[in-house]
Parts: sequence; structure tokens; C-alpha cells
Amino acid sequence: MNCTTNVFKTFGLAIILMLMPLLAMAQNVTVKGQVSDSEGPVIGATVKVKGASTGSVTDIDGNYSISVRPGATLTFSYLGLKTKEVKVGSQRVINVTLSADDQLLNEVVVVGYGTMRKSDLTGAVTQVDNKAIEKTVSTSIDQVLQGRAAGVQIQANTGTPGGSSTIRIRGTNSLNASSQPIFVIDGVIIDSDGSDNGNTNPLAAINPSDILTMDILKDASATAIYGSRASNGVIMITTKRGKSGEATITYDGYVGWQSMPKKLDVLNLRQYAQHYNDISDAKIKPASSTFISPELLGEGTDWQDELFSTAFMTNHSLSMTGGNDKTTFAISAGYLNQDGIALATGFKRQTLRGSIDSQLKKWLKGGISFSLSDSKQEMEKNWDIIMTALKSQPSVAVRNPSGGYDGPDDQWMPDNAVALAEIKTNYAKRLNFRINTYLEAELLKGLTFKTELSTDYNLNKTKTYQPDYEFGVRVSSQRDGAWYKNDTKYWSWRNILTYNGKIAEKHNLNVMAGQEMSQSYWENMSTKNSGYLSNLVTDLRGGETTGANVNIDGYQDGFKLFSYFGRALYNFDDRYLLTATLRCDGSNKFAEGHRYGWFPSAALAWRVSQENFLKDNKVINNLKLRLGWGATGNQNVQQWAYAAMLANYTTTWGVGVLNANNANQNLKWETTYSTNVGIDLSLFNSRIDLVVDWYYKKTNDLLMSIDLPAFLGSGGGSKYGAASNPWGNIGSLRNTGVEITLNTQNIVKKDFSWSSNVVFSLNRNKVVSLDSETGNLPQTLQIGSETAVVTNTVVGHPIGQFWGHKVIGRFNNPEDFYYKDANGNVKPVALPEGASIATSPTAGGVFIGDYIFEDRDGNGVIDNNDKTFIGNPEPKFTWGFGNTLSYKGFDLSFQFNGSYGNKVMNYGRRFLEITGSTANQLTTVLNYARIEKIDPNGPEDYRNYRVTNPSTMMPRLSTESGVNSNFRVSDAYVEDGSYIRLQNVALSYTLPRAWLKATFLSNVKVYCNVQNLFTITKYDGFDPEVGSLRGTALLNGVDYSRYPSPRIYTVGLNVQF
Amino acid sequence: MKTNIFKYTIALAGMLTVTSCADDFLEQKNTYQQGQDNFFGDDKAVAQAIYPLYSYVWFDFNDKFYYGMGDGRANNITAQYSDYIYPYTNFTETGLSVGLSEAWGALYSVVAQSNNALNNIRNFSMAEVTEQGKTQGIAEARFMRGLAYWYIGTLWGCGIIYEDTQDLVNGYVVPPCRQTDVIEFAIRDLEFAAKNLPATSPATGRVNKYAAYAMLSRFYLSMAGLTTSGRYDGSNIATEKNSGTRNEYYLDLARKAAAMVIDNGPYKLLDNYADLFAAATQNNNDESIFQLQFQAGADGGLAQSMTRFLAWSTAVNQGNSWGGSTYCSYDLWSEFKEYNDKTLGDNVVIDDAVRRHYSVASYGEEYPELSTDPENPYIYGVTESAGSQGANVKKYVIGTNAVNGFAVNNNSGINTYMMRLAEVYLNYVDAMIGNNTSTTDSKALSLFNALRRRANVPEKQSVGYEDLRHEFRVETAFEGTYWYFLVRRGYYRQQEVVNYVNNQNRNASYYESSTHTYKLSDSYTAPGPSVAVATAKNLTLPIADTDQTKNPLLKPDADGNIATVSYEFGEREVADADLF
Repeated sequence: MNCTTNVFKTFGLAIILMLMPLLAMAQNVTVKGQVSDSEGPVIGATVKVKGASTGSVTDIDGNYSISVRPGATLTFSYLGLKTKEVKVGSQRVINVTLSADDQLLNEVVVVGYGTMRKSDLTGAVTQVDNKAIEKTVSTSIDQVLQGRAAGVQIQANTGTPGGSSTIRIRGTNSLNASSQPIFVIDGVIIDSDGSDNGNTNPLAAINPSDILTMDILKDASATAIYGSRASNGVIMITTKRGKSGEATITYDGYVGWQSMPKKLDVLNLRQYAQHYNDISDAKIKPASSTFISPELLGEGTDWQDELFSTAFMTNHSLSMTGGNDKTTFAISAGYLNQDGIALATGFKRQTLRGSIDSQLKKWLKGGISFSLSDSKQEMEKNWDIIMTALKSQPSVAVRNPSGGYDGPDDQWMPDNAVALAEIKTNYAKRLNFRINTYLEAELLKGLTFKTELSTDYNLNKTKTYQPDYEFGVRVSSQRDGAWYKNDTKYWSWRNILTYNGKIAEKHNLNVMAGQEMSQSYWENMSTKNSGYLSNLVTDLRGGETTGANVNIDGYQDGFKLFSYFGRALYNFDDRYLLTATLRCDGSNKFAEGHRYGWFPSAALAWRVSQENFLKDNKVINNLKLRLGWGATGNQNVQQWAYAAMLANYTTTWGVGVLNANNANQNLKWETTYSTNVGIDLSLFNSRIDLVVDWYYKKTNDLLMSIDLPAFLGSGGGSKYGAASNPWGNIGSLRNTGVEITLNTQNIVKKDFSWSSNVVFSLNRNKVVSLDSETGNLPQTLQIGSETAVVTNTVVGHPIGQFWGHKVIGRFNNPEDFYYKDANGNVKPVALPEGASIATSPTAGGVFIGDYIFEDRDGNGVIDNNDKTFIGNPEPKFTWGFGNTLSYKGFDLSFQFNGSYGNKVMNYGRRFLEITGSTANQLTTVLNYARIEKIDPNGPEDYRNYRVTNPSTMMPRLSTESGVNSNFRVSDAYVEDGSYIRLQNVALSYTLPRAWLKATFLSNVKVYCNVQNLFTITKYDGFDPEVGSLRGTALLNGVDYSRYPSPRIYTVGLNVQF
Repeated sequence: MKTNIFKYTIALAGMLTVTSCADDFLEQKNTYQQGQDNFFGDDKAVAQAIYPLYSYVWFDFNDKFYYGMGDGRANNITAQYSDYIYPYTNFTETGLSVGLSEAWGALYSVVAQSNNALNNIRNFSMAEVTEQGKTQGIAEARFMRGLAYWYIGTLWGCGIIYEDTQDLVNGYVVPPCRQTDVIEFAIRDLEFAAKNLPATSPATGRVNKYAAYAMLSRFYLSMAGLTTSGRYDGSNIATEKNSGTRNEYYLDLARKAAAMVIDNGPYKLLDNYADLFAAATQNNNDESIFQLQFQAGADGGLAQSMTRFLAWSTAVNQGNSWGGSTYCSYDLWSEFKEYNDKTLGDNVVIDDAVRRHYSVASYGEEYPELSTDPENPYIYGVTESAGSQGANVKKYVIGTNAVNGFAVNNNSGINTYMMRLAEVYLNYVDAMIGNNTSTTDSKALSLFNALRRRANVPEKQSVGYEDLRHEFRVETAFEGTYWYFLVRRGYYRQQEVVNYVNNQNRNASYYESSTHTYKLSDSYTAPGPSVAVATAKNLTLPIADTDQTKNPLLKPDADGNIATVSYEFGEREVADADLF
């Protein structure tokens, strides 16, 4: 320990020596003193002589010393504290205590291409700062936002370490594959684009402890400055930069344990064997001699226990910041190693970041920052490995007595999931390098010119390898390997002129005009090989390298944007504020003639509290009314979507071509027009802080890959040889909602304080028009060889509604096959198209124990026309409730999140409650409808059968392809997804500074944290927090047993010196 | 002052250097993918646009539906536990059944990509492309499109006809066309191909004009049952489904088309039935007229994936082998083994041993070609235990990689027969029987007996429908064609066909493991476990569920009928005189 700290000290000192020029010294008198706040001495506070350029900063004990002319005024300032001025009289020791800046109205908020005082804001912007990050154990910053920012809905797509989240700002705005916002990290736009497959998360490259603030731009008046890419909102991320003063070195580290929060209740071996026998009795499968006496069998294999285990994680980060009043710097390094709770998954990340800002000349400032992130993600070996485990028979052992992997004795049963996880290779390595440099010149007083160049490089590699194996009868004789390399480069160059000044008394003007050009460029290469000589040598060269199974692909592509933009902010007397922005974007994603788009916005704000009648109000210390309108765009379409491309196909005669896509020459921007009305209110010296926003957004020309019917050649199950669907502008939808943020300081005492934060978001979504003639957009989902419609998007309804049949009962008794209509006529109950009542339980047809579906159109047949809306994945509202309690050095915080009124389609259950399946199933299948003859000697006819357990709700033993299709997509699989989750509990203890006096340490904090502690929900699946399956907006809320988010316990230490 | 000038210069330079060239900046070039407007530079490029139409687009049709429908529904196959077959065997299929939407999608993939190919050739060919090259390409694309439409019209009884996907992208809710129009559309495509394709294939495996005539012999027989008399003109549709007579005009065309292939085409029957399905000689042999052209060792859409569903064990096939419970039906087995041939006399029971051996693997049958050591052949039931319910399917099963040297997992590497000369022979015979009960036409008899001679079964002096049906079934078992043969009979003898398929001992088990004999299980009761009773409705299929949702005009009414419209045909491009 001592050795390492010495290294840090020496290293830190070296850097400081290099950077710190000598401070000017030569005045009349020397004034000394200590600066402190309510917690003790303040390190690094700035002490300046008013009106002069000289100044000093406080040292580790809060002490300063400065020479001044007597009669001068000293200003003491520190971020987050109120600045204080003291006139130097005869005293030579001036001790000051700075009070907390509760109003925070001068807090700076990051907006597009600049910053703004919070008090000048006219749009809807929410800030989440590093304090929130410190309270969570987040490996990726999207997790921090959950429940902390009104109007932002975050749902993890997967619990895979390093996996991504579905992030929606003010509802789903687009039907297109990506409704993700854009991220602007220190000015560099990171497009999450349409590439999200649930595993890749561009935010995972960032070490959360490097973040200073996240500003979420929500309404168009704030986002329109980002034009064509801003429709889904913008999240501005600002990383930490240096402060003048003695260097601060911070170490933060924690270790954690993650565990599976829940298991699903599947059949054990005895139950399975008994159930198998029932199935063979029903003539669905041939009998098995293995299961003759189920009661003699044990528990069998618990595949969930085999696949999931408690996993370890550890994180270390070290940062140094410092500088003087000319130059500041920040350097940080981080290391994260997280194992996944599912076997052979995990995430490792190393990060390094640095920045220097310098006042080069009186009129010229410059700076450079960079970040480097190197990560490796061990992914799930099969995308549905969890379903594989759940469906695996308990009769199959993980390993056979000789130590090898065991497997099923039936070709149709799933592979050994544990074996697959262990023997297959599937990992991604990602290297991200981002660099940003700027020069800023003050041309005239108030007029600055800034030129800024940003680049973002990504080197990504995925490697997969599948050895040959033999698990029981499941045999795979091929050895296949592949490498995928995907390198991207993004650069942008911005030139911005800003004028900031007073035109006349009370008329403040801030004008910004800029121009930007950017290019996103990528190179993809993939190589597949086979015929490996050994499973131990799995790099590509280990394979046959020539021959039919070698597959090589590669291409380079990209898109470019050329833009002009401007913003004017006019402020009259700090009472009336007007912001107007305009951006013009040219994008080569569209054909000529459709390339340029204009995105204007305007917003007004009235600071009522600055009016005379409220100015000195004791209760209201801030009241602002805001009104904004603007237009933003979305250009997230596939490259070259406007032209028909040809794809190469190898054939017996050489390479051939087919149309790769259906083109659409007329493709253009998607445009969102939004209106925002907001109110900011602070009461009792900001003890109560309330922000309420109402918005209305309408998106026109929705960009969407049009899901063509199969009869237009969109392909069969495999889609081999099919042209991909065209992109089109197909309709409009609207989102309207209310967001409330309430921050309160419930108790503020010397030793004890309690503050709370409540966030409430409500969004209503509706499709206004669709240009397809049916006015609906069914979304299909393919699992195995089955393709089924799972959601439908219909004009007048919210997007992506679950779509299917309604189960209204079960044929329990013969008379259930008939009903009396309104006129008293006896009629047969509707049966599926083409089906009739079976002549015996084993004959084809509908029988006692099958489901009754609702015949919605009353035509006497259950068919496609009887499908309807069976649930809305959109919550009625979501909320977050956080509390922080402080007592002396202790801080306790807990964060609840919740969602109310959303439905989840438990699609995994559709395949785990098939009563007649011999793959393993949930124990609920044991409640299948048991049927028996009413008269044991009577005929096989349905009139002589009944259900003996009518209180249950499972159908009789039947398979997926039974005539009645009991397991079709229906409301039987739609569940209430509401939940309340204690997302986070954090307890920390900061050692009193007095204890540290004798050491070189300035701050020591120990903490522990529990993430995802408990969830109250009625949902039957693993986790009610379900994002979008495969990142598709129209598959929101469809849960195919996704990788559950783990429960995480951590213990950590934070040291500063 | 100096600094100021310097500062302004920087600022101005920064702002101006980039503003003049926005349009230039936004230009970019696609370096990796050919586009329709820059590819068709010569005849070779035109041909390249045709190659993939022989494999990829058919993949999902071939994978499960080829035999699931063509044989499963006609009860050549019993597969009680395979959901890609039994819904069809059991007459319980719905718009969601496995294989159905894949087949519907695949056939329309053929249509859509053939349309794209021929539109690309028509609209984007550059000056260097010859007229002959264009015609060749267009005719080949129309061959594929026409064949797909024939399947669609035959299977679903209606279809959506279009010639360019672009026409429907922004309005795909359109009514389907009548069955006769779909078949007519198919016929016109194939007539164009027959007229314009060269007499010899430009490369092994590609189609020539006689392949088009061969298909026409099949299509004309469909149309013969669907129309009353004369050339189809939209009004002469046969409404009586049990009339028992066919349109003589199309019978005549079918005969002429078949004769054209037989008399002038380059094909000839292979001497040995075995060679048709032997690993080394299956692909593009002399008898093959059109095969889907898969490639050994390839994966994805170029792979012969069907074999894995038929092969009963990994000892007889490379890798995945899921056909252990996919059996020759009892009904077909008995036609192979003990067919009571009334034409040959009373109580003449024929064992069609040659064709049975190469079509069905039953207990004790020896297959040296499935063994690495021919001295020690694979013996079905002995080398491995026999299937528990019946005899397994042998056709398309060609052994492991160690045996044939090219099969890989999920790709046995052989082609799929879509038309071979034997069928043309039988189509000729069918046309010659015409509206009579039988034929003694010498040419018909010689063709018919050529097949029987090869199979080493007695020749016949007269051929009636039953003789033809039996011959067609045993000759082409598991080649995905028998159902279509039955359906075309159903156009004019509907009730007869419905009765026939309801009396086929469906889903019967027939293996007695103790004695290794094959006989109908005593416990069997008609119509068989899980089998529904077929009606006339079962002669067509429900349309894929997802497409019904997207296009509600494809939904049937309460009676199960789909409203259709007539298709507006232009003038005929090809006259009868151009063809014969």
C-alpha cells in the first residue's frame, strides 16, 4: 500500500510540476486564512482578488495565503457553494465559511454546441449528476438513468454483462428499428444506430466514474440543434475535467457478487417421468421404458442450477485532477471484471482517459481530451440458451459417468445447454478510442470562435467457434469457426461563432452560428472456416482454409452529414427568455432531391419569480413558465435503401446475383414536431424543487422497413434468396405525456439530512395514420420453424399492441360445444377453421379439454378474423423514488423504481406450457385438463367425455400442432408486467476528516450496495423489466425468457488524497 | 491589430473552406455491392442473374414441403410425430402449420426474384447485352416463375399475380386471382420459355426448351380438368367438379408437349432405376429434365437440406438425421409389396421389388452403397434396429461422407428432381387415356412398358386410370409429385379423389418387430389416429396466416371460400403454331 501510494505521489507530483507555472507573487500584505463549509475545510477553493488576475487556491487543510493591497476585496468561490466576498481591512487572517448554493440556478447545463445557465433554459432538460452515479454500482451509464430522469424509460434488454438497454425518451417515437436517443459524449455524437442486437452497447465502453453530468435534452426546442438525428432525444454526457488547485487523486474500488434473483419452476425428474407417461398414454408419443416407475426416480438434473451460479465482479478506478488557473488536467484509469451469472458469460473492461485545457493566449484557449476503452465480452453461446436449459429434460445428466457430456436420447430434444456454454466460443473484443480537440478564440469582446475536431474509432472483433460434439443422440460432426471484424471511424469538424453580450440595459443576447460536417465510416470483414484439425486450435488458420465451407465477406461503407445550425437566445431583464434554433442537414442516406432537411425550433420562458410582485417572496424563490415548439428528424435507415442492390450468390455455375433489397427512391426524413409546456417551481429557498412538463409530439413520415407479405417475396422461413424489405415513410404517430420531477430536502440539520427525489413519467402513444392499405402493421416473430404474428400496430391504437386470440374457456363438458344465441337457438361453439369435433380423444379434431377461443366476428369459425388486441406493452406510468439520508459520516440511499399498467407477453411460457410436449415444461402443465369417460363402458364419442379437474385452466394433453392450436398466440400468455423494484440500496461511511489529519489522505469512504434487491410483481417470468426483443420497437414487451438482470451485492472503498 | 487580422483569418478560413462543397461532400460510392443500374453489362451478367433461381429461392419449398405435401398429404409418408408432415397427412393443417408459410413464401420468392431478374434484364441491360442474351435470360426467369405459379395455383386454388414487386409495395391489399388464371399465367410463362429457350442447355443443369415442354405437359393436364372446351378464355371454366370429362383441347396439347420432349428432347431413361438415386448419378443425369441445383459442401440456401428429414440414422446420412419416425405409409408399402394388379388378371399380386428396394428400406434389404465396405453392406434392421412402426424412406438417402465423399451436415449434396422423363411418359399416357377408360395406343403402351420393363414388372397391353395411378405412384414415390397427380384428378372427379384419400389407412403402424414382418397393425381403426375426414376443401390449402393478416382479402369467408377476381391477360405472345 505504502509503496503504491508513493508511486502515485511521485507520479502526480511530476505531472503537477510539469503543468504548473509559477504563480505571481509581489504585493503589499499577506492575508491568510481557512476556507470551510458545513463539513469542514474546503480543498481547492479559489481565492481571488476582485478586479485583478491574481489568485490562489486552498490547500489540503483549506488554508490559503495571498498578497493583496489593503482595501481590496477577496472573492472565495467553490463549485456548489455560494461565492462570498470579503473586503480586506486591517485583518491579516480571514477565515470564511461558504454556505451551500441551494438555488443552483446558476448551475450550468450542457446544451447542443454550448452550455447555458439553468436559469436561461427554455426547453426541457434534465440533469443527472455524478452523485447519482456514485450511489449505484453501474457498469454502464444507462443503468444510472433508470428511475432518475423523468420522461426517460430504461429497460435492460438482457442481463448479459455488457448488454444493452432499451432507452426511450418520451415514448417510442419511431417504428423503425431504433428509437434509441443519440449520445453526445463531450461533443462527439455516438449513434447507437440500428445495430443493436441486445449484446452490443456503445455505452458499455464508458467507465461511469468518469462521468460528471448527463444532460437529457427532451423537447424539440432543446434537441432541434441536432437536427436530423435528434428525434429520439439527446443525452449529453460530460466527462470530468481538471480544476485548478492542488491535484486530487482518487481511488475507487469495489468487489461484488451477483446472483440469480429467481428460478422458474420446471418439472423435476419424477414429475417429468409421470407426465411423459401421461403423454404416451394419450398416444402423443411412444412409451418409454425408462419411466415405468416414476416414483422411484430422483430429482434429476436442475438445468437452471447447472447453468446459473453466483458470479463475482470487481472494479477499480483511479483518477487524478488538478492544474492552475491557466492549465488544468484530468487523468483516470479503470478496470472492471464482471462474470455473468450464466455459465461462461462475462465482461472485462479497461479504460484510460485524459484531458488538458489551457489558456494559451489571453484570447486563445485550447484543449484536448482522449479516452481509450478496451473490453471483452463473453456472450451467451446461443441466443436462446436459457430456453434450451429450461426445456432440457431432467432425465438427461450434464455429464455421463465417464466424464463426458451427456445428452438426450431423442433427436428433437434440446442440446445440453451447459455443454454448449462450456465448449463453444462466442466473445467480442472492442477497442474504442475517442479524441476531441478544440481551439477557442475571443475575436472581440463577447464574440468567440471555436473550432473543434472529434474522432471516434472502434475496433470490434467477434470470434465464434463450435467444436464437434456428441451429446447423447445429438451429434454435430462439424467444427466451425468465424471471425467478424467491424472497424468504424467517425469524425466531425465543427466551427462555431458565439456572440454573448448586452445590446442595451436589460437586453441580453447570445447568438451562435455554426457549421458541421461529419462522416461515419465502417469496414466489416467476416471469415468463416470449418474442418478444424483439432478443437484446441481454433483460430482460422487451424481450419481447412480452402474449400466449400470457407466463407469470406467484407465491405466498407458509411454515411455523411453536412449541416448548418444556429441559435439565438434573447434575455430581457432575466424575466423574458426567447430561444430560437435552426438546423439544416444534408445526408447521403437519401437519394438526391430528398437529401436536405430543415429543423427549426422556438421557445419562450417567463421567469415569473423575477417580477417585482414575486421577487422577494418568502415562499417562492423560483418560478418559470416555459413554452416550446420544434421539429426534429430521424435518418436511421439502412445504407443505400433508396436504390436496388444486387447480392452475390454462389451457385454451381459460379457466382450469381439476385436483388438484395426492394428499393424506394422516394425515401425521406422522418420528422417529429413537438410542443412542450413546462413549469419550474422552487419553494422555501429551494427546499422543494418541482419541475412539471407536458408535451405533445407528432411524428410524420415514419421511417420503417415495410414488412411485406410473403406473397411479395419477403421470403419463407429461412429467407434464403429473398430480397429484403424496402424502407418507406409510412404514416404518423403521436406521443403525449406528462413528466414530474420533485426534489425535496425533507430535513436539513447539522448532522442529519434527508432528501428525496420523485420522478413520474406518463406517456400515451397512438398511431395516427399508416399508409399501408390495411392500416395495420403486424409484426411476426420466428422461433424455430414457427413464425407467428405477436404484435399489431393499428391506426387509432398505441403501437406494437399484443395481437392474438382470446381464450374464453375450455370444453369441460359435452354441452360446452353448444350455446344458445340471443334468440334461444342452440348453436355449435365456433371451432378453428377446418376443424371438427374429433371422433375420439386420439383422433384429429377438437375434443373435451381443448380451449374455447372467442369468435369475435361471430361467423362460427375461429380464424384470423378473430384476433384482437390482447395487451399493451406500454406502461400507464413509470416512476422512481429515491431517498438519501445522511447522519454525520453515514449516507444511506435507496432507490425504488416501478412501472404500472404495462403488459408483458410471456413468450417463453408459450413454449414451456405445452401440455403434450416431452421437452421439459413448467410445473403448471401438470394441471392439464384430465378427461375421462362419463360412462366407462360408453362410446369413444365426445358426448361421453368430461374434464375431471374443471377448476384448472390448462388444456388437455396436446402438442403445438394439435388441431385446436391451444398454444397459439393468445391472451393466455399476456401478463401484468407492473412492478415495484428496490433497485438500489447504498450505505456509505465517510471517515471524519479529523481522523485523517495525520495521514496524507483527504477523504476516505467505505460503502456497500445492493442492486436489484427485490421486485414485487405478479409476472411469472424471470423479470418483468422487458425491453425490446432483438431491439425491435414492435417487439417491445415480448419476453422470450431473456437473460435476467442479476442481484448484485458490492463492498467498496473510495480514497482521496 | 496584427493579432486581430490573424484571428479573423483563422475564423474565416474555418467557415469558408467547407461551405462550398456540401454536395460534393455528400457524394459517396458503393464499393462493395453491385446495383441493378451498373451490373448488366454483358450476356454473362444476364446469365448470372438467373443462376440463383435454381436453388436459393426454392430452399424453403424443398426443405420440408416437397415431401411433406407432395408425399405426406397423398399418404405416401406416415410421420405421426413430425409436425412438418402430419398436419398434411391428417388433413389438420392450418395457416400456421409448419412448412406451410415457408412454402407459400418460397414459391413467391421464386415469383418475386424471377420478376426482379426479368425486369432488371428488360430495363437495365446495357448496350453490349445481345437480344439473344436478353431473351434467354427472360425465358429462363419465366420458366421458374411459371413453375412457381403452377404450384401456387394447384395448392391454394387461387393466387396473387404480379409482375413487379414495386407495383404492390405501397398497396398490397389486392384480391387473389382465380385458379384458372393462375394456371393460365403459368402456362403462358412456360409457352414463352418453350418458344424462346434454346434446344440445348447452355450449361449442365440449366433448362432448355424441352424442359419447358415437359412442364407444359403437366400444366396442360391441370388445365384440361379445369376447363370445358377450347383454349382458356376466362369463361370456359369447368364448374362441375364431378363431370368425369376433361377439355380435349388441353389433352391434345398435353400429348403434343409430351411427344415433343420424348421425340425431340435430349433425354433418355436411365437403364437402371437404381442410378436415378445413386449418389454418383443422381445429379443432372440423362433422365433428369429439371432439378433444383444444390451444391455439395455448401451451406445455407445452396444446401440439399431435405435428406436430413428422411434419413433414419447417422449411419446412413452425414450429420443431422431426423427421419427415424418418417415412414413409407402402409398404403404405399402394400402397393410396392403386394399390389393386386387387376389389369394383369385375377389375383395377380406384384412385388415391385426394384423400385421398392430403392424407394423404401425394409427389414433385411441390403445396401452396399451405404457402407464403406461393399463386402459388408448396410442391412436395414440388422446393422441397426429397424423403425418401430414401419419401413423407412430410402430415396434421397445416400450415405455418410465416408461413403460418398461429399455429404456434409445438413447438406447431402444431391439435387432435387422437379421433372424427369418418366413423368413425361406418364403424362403422355394420361393424355392418351383422355376421357376414355383406357388406352391401347401403341406409343402410350411402349412408354408405359418402358418404365415397367426397367422395374422388372410385367408389361401391360392396356392402360386405364388405375394402372396409371399405380404406376405414377410407385415410379415417383417420395419425389413430391403424387399429391399433385391426385389433385388434378380431383378437378373432374372430385368425390372419387376425396373417397380415395379417406380410405388410405392413414397413420397405420405395420411393423411386427418380433417377426420382422410388415402387416397392418391389428389395433388400427380407420381413419387412423389423429386423422380427420377429408372433404373437397382439403384438396386446397389454407393461406399462410401471417399473409391473411397483412392482406385481409386472402381471408376465407364463413364457408371457407376466398373471393377471387379475374386476371386481365394481354394478347397471347405465343401461338399454338409457334409451339407445335
